[in-house]
Amino acid sequence: MLFRKLWRTMGLYKAQFISMVIMIALGIGIFVGFNMEWVSIDKNTNGFLEQTGFADYRIISENGFSKEDVESIASLTGIDKAARYLSVQADVKERDGDTISFTVTENADVSGFALMGGEPYDANSSDGIWLSDKYASANGISLGDALTFRYKNIEFKGNVKGLIKSGEHMVCVRDETQLMPDYKTHGFAYISPAMYKETAGFEYYPQINVLSKLEKKKFTDKVDKALDTTLMILTKDETVSYAGPQGEIDEGKTMGSILPVLFLLIAVLTMVTTMHRVAAKEKTQIGTLKALGFKDKRILRHYTSYAFMIGIMGTASGIALGYLVAWLVLNPNGMMATYIDIPDWKLYLPWFCVVILVLILALITLIGFLSVRQMLKGNAADALRPYIPKKMKRLLLEKTVIWKKLSFGAKWNLRDSMRHKSRTLMSLIGVVGCALIVVAALGMGDTMDSFLDMYYGDALHYNSRINLSEQVTTEKTNELIEKYEGDYSASVAVQVGEKAVSLDVYHTPGDFVRFPDENNNFIEIEDDGVYLCMRLAKEFDLSEGDTFRVSPYGSDKTYTLKVAGVIRSVSENMVISPEYADSIDLPYTINSIYTKTAKTDISSDDAVASVQSKQAIIDSFDSMMELMNLMILIFIIAAIVLGVVVLYNLGVMSYTERYREMATLKVVGFKDRKIGALLIGQNLWISLIGVIIGIPLGAAVLDYLMNALASEYEMKTVIDVSTYIVNILLTVGMSVLVSLLVARKNRKIDMVEALKGVE
Amino acid sequence: MQIVEFKDVSRIYKSGDHELKALDGVNFSLDEGKFVVILGPSGAGKSTLLNLLGGLDSPTSGKIIVEGKDISTLSNDELAEYRAAAVGFVFQFYNLVPTLTVRENVALVREIAKDSLSPEEMLAEVGLSDHLNNFPSELSGGEQQRVSIARALAKNPKILLCDEPTGALDSETGVLILKLLMSMAKGYGKTIVIVTHNQNIAKMADVVIRVKNGKIRSFDEQQSPMSADEVEW
Repeated sequence: MLFRKLWRTMGLYKAQFISMVIMIALGIGIFVGFNMEWVSIDKNTNGFLEQTGFADYRIISENGFSKEDVESIASLTGIDKAARYLSVQADVKERDGDTISFTVTENADVSGFALMGGEPYDANSSDGIWLSDKYASANGISLGDALTFRYKNIEFKGNVKGLIKSGEHMVCVRDETQLMPDYKTHGFAYISPAMYKETAGFEYYPQINVLSKLEKKKFTDKVDKALDTTLMILTKDETVSYAGPQGEIDEGKTMGSILPVLFLLIAVLTMVTTMHRVAAKEKTQIGTLKALGFKDKRILRHYTSYAFMIGIMGTASGIALGYLVAWLVLNPNGMMATYIDIPDWKLYLPWFCVVILVLILALITLIGFLSVRQMLKGNAADALRPYIPKKMKRLLLEKTVIWKKLSFGAKWNLRDSMRHKSRTLMSLIGVVGCALIVVAALGMGDTMDSFLDMYYGDALHYNSRINLSEQVTTEKTNELIEKYEGDYSASVAVQVGEKAVSLDVYHTPGDFVRFPDENNNFIEIEDDGVYLCMRLAKEFDLSEGDTFRVSPYGSDKTYTLKVAGVIRSVSENMVISPEYADSIDLPYTINSIYTKTAKTDISSDDAVASVQSKQAIIDSFDSMMELMNLMILIFIIAAIVLGVVVLYNLGVMSYTERYREMATLKVVGFKDRKIGALLIGQNLWISLIGVIIGIPLGAAVLDYLMNALASEYEMKTVIDVSTYIVNILLTVGMSVLVSLLVARKNRKIDMVEALKGVE
Repeated sequence: MQIVEFKDVSRIYKSGDHELKALDGVNFSLDEGKFVVILGPSGAGKSTLLNLLGGLDSPTSGKIIVEGKDISTLSNDELAEYRAAAVGFVFQFYNLVPTLTVRENVALVREIAKDSLSPEEMLAEVGLSDHLNNFPSELSGGEQQRVSIARALAKNPKILLCDEPTGALDSETGVLILKLLMSMAKGYGKTIVIVTHNQNIAKMADVVIRVKNGKIRSFDEQQSPMSADEVEW
């Protein structure tokens, strides 16, 4: 019988019940969803990297390695597997302009791939090509098709035998300037070492890839000893395929931290207030049950199971919502799947989410338990008496002159707010939370946009970037620079401490590339030192005037550089002028030319490896931003739903609590509209105060988030005026809308009924 | 001068197939300045009658004419205007706004009534000058009912409607309240309608209407009503 009553109770407090379930679902959904996102990226990519033998270390030598070299490495203790490896950019003869990461590994267990279709890999095949399935499908290439790759004027001709995905090419970009894969123009392919040797007539492997669990320091020492020379060794972190997803994971962790926790917090707080109110309204019923002879324990169990039911339904739908949120980001047709190429995306519910879910469920049940226990206090007669809200006390404000000047409505609302403090506070928290999340989320978009505008609008003034091929002569380079009236740059891979960093030499008389400092002012690259990007300056704790040492890979020389300044940069690099490079005798080879000439007007040339238009770079960054925008959108929608539910719930509560007062006003002769206006007035004030508190908090949270993302982006936090306006309109609009919904109810006030009974 | 007229007024409550005739073809009229008592057992329809007269409810059929105006077909907002201007209410449970002070509860009517009276004066009249800044919960029942009377009169209405005004009070306080009501009504020339099941109150009335089963059983005009002091309580 009591169970039947439980269902009826749910029906009776439908609005409260539904809103509690929605709030818990939303809090849990956002929390689970955003944390599931990064945990799933982590598990999916790591699983795939392990499956395809993604190398832990890459030993690099321009001179190439011999069979003996790899054998001596493989025999070292602590090294699981090692293989000679080649991955270079090759042209696809049949498809003009396309490039392929042309890859050979001597041992398919190291830096290998997963077969998605066709024949399994055959290390002795003389004509087999194992091609990226995404490149194949983007370009209509099928199994059995003939393809020719051209590298260093050697043509490798073969037939597509298998379609594959590879850990080494999980983020398949041509080079660091390309942020997003474009399978229409760039893919990757493996051929067998046998075919490589046969066709090329030599075995040139500039890389040994190694699977090893050793730490970098130990590994480096061992390898240096074994090969008797100091070589460039890259860790996983220094490859795009590993660092790219890792960046997404870090970003996800940041997004999954503060904001979703805020959602959870608001949900739990609202639950506290709502449960208390429901229990208070049930007080006479509780008393009746008690008077009938039900034991306290039984009554407690009855109402606690009501809270538990809310918790179960909220948690269950929260998990479902979490899966939806994670799926939105990680679905096979989404941006993440374009960025990271793995066979399939599974969603993983992280263990800490399960723990938190259980805790939340326990907490909700406890809240229900405590609310009812409070009503059960004393004997049956006490319990039978209806719950009486606190007596009115005079406000401090009433002693001031201002009070007399306030309108009746303002006084009424102020006193009501003070009488029902928890309700008012919760409304306020709901609005603050909503405003905060909207400001932080939109501000994140603003920050990104403003950075992109600054960087691509003001910093980069070229139309095309020409990437020179590796074998180009200095004369040819100078000829091209003159022909296209270009600025140029050279990248030197250097070692700073244990880290591989790109030292870029920029000659920019045409100002086609400019460098913004921390305040977004463009600075000249002077000839007296190196300009570090913010991340490196922070990581190595360097500031203007400091000196540090770098050593270029493939050389045993070290150079001392003096810090001349700090710049904002997209990639992690440092910049010097050619004059400074000359003054310290640092050798470099120009590899990029920046020109106003459009991409289509640049004639094809053996010296030109590829040409990128600035627009293509912007586009690839934009598609990168799509993910961020999706997350921002999810946050904003969730914030609005949260705000609406919290305010509606509290609005209904306020309406019930003031029912008698409103009925009295109505009897006295107040019109429905006027009573409605009073109610809306209260919400409007709470919203305004909420927005005023929420905006600076949102800005602070945004600052915190951008700091947390500082290892990913070097962006100056910016909040547009439009964000403030949108936020105010959205939050206040939402609040007014909800009040209108609630105020509409006052037409239904039954004056006659309401006036009976005791206050 | 006639101030209220009920013409064949019925109020039928429907719930499903079931019909409840709360009032069934009621006819009567009241003159201005009279002290009217409506008597009857519970469920007889007396509260319905009062609610209709007060504009809290509309009749199913028939006409209610107050000061020459038919209020039976008014819209919600027009009814609110009518309540604001023409009638003052006093209820059994006072129905004060708990979050407003005594003064503010009376001043409330200034928001809606055009020629309202000064709240301080009205409260002085009911003897509550010392409690202007108290909240209702800080007052006794009798005091709360006085606030309620002050509020009803502050609107300066022609008619004062009282639903069991002494119902929640002990008899001593009840008499005081009745005396207050009568003297105020006489002093300001109001028509007072009191609904009660207390026979004694009827002895003070100019007009006694007895209601049973939704019909008027008797309509008596008493030529020499007793004063409150003469009535044995």
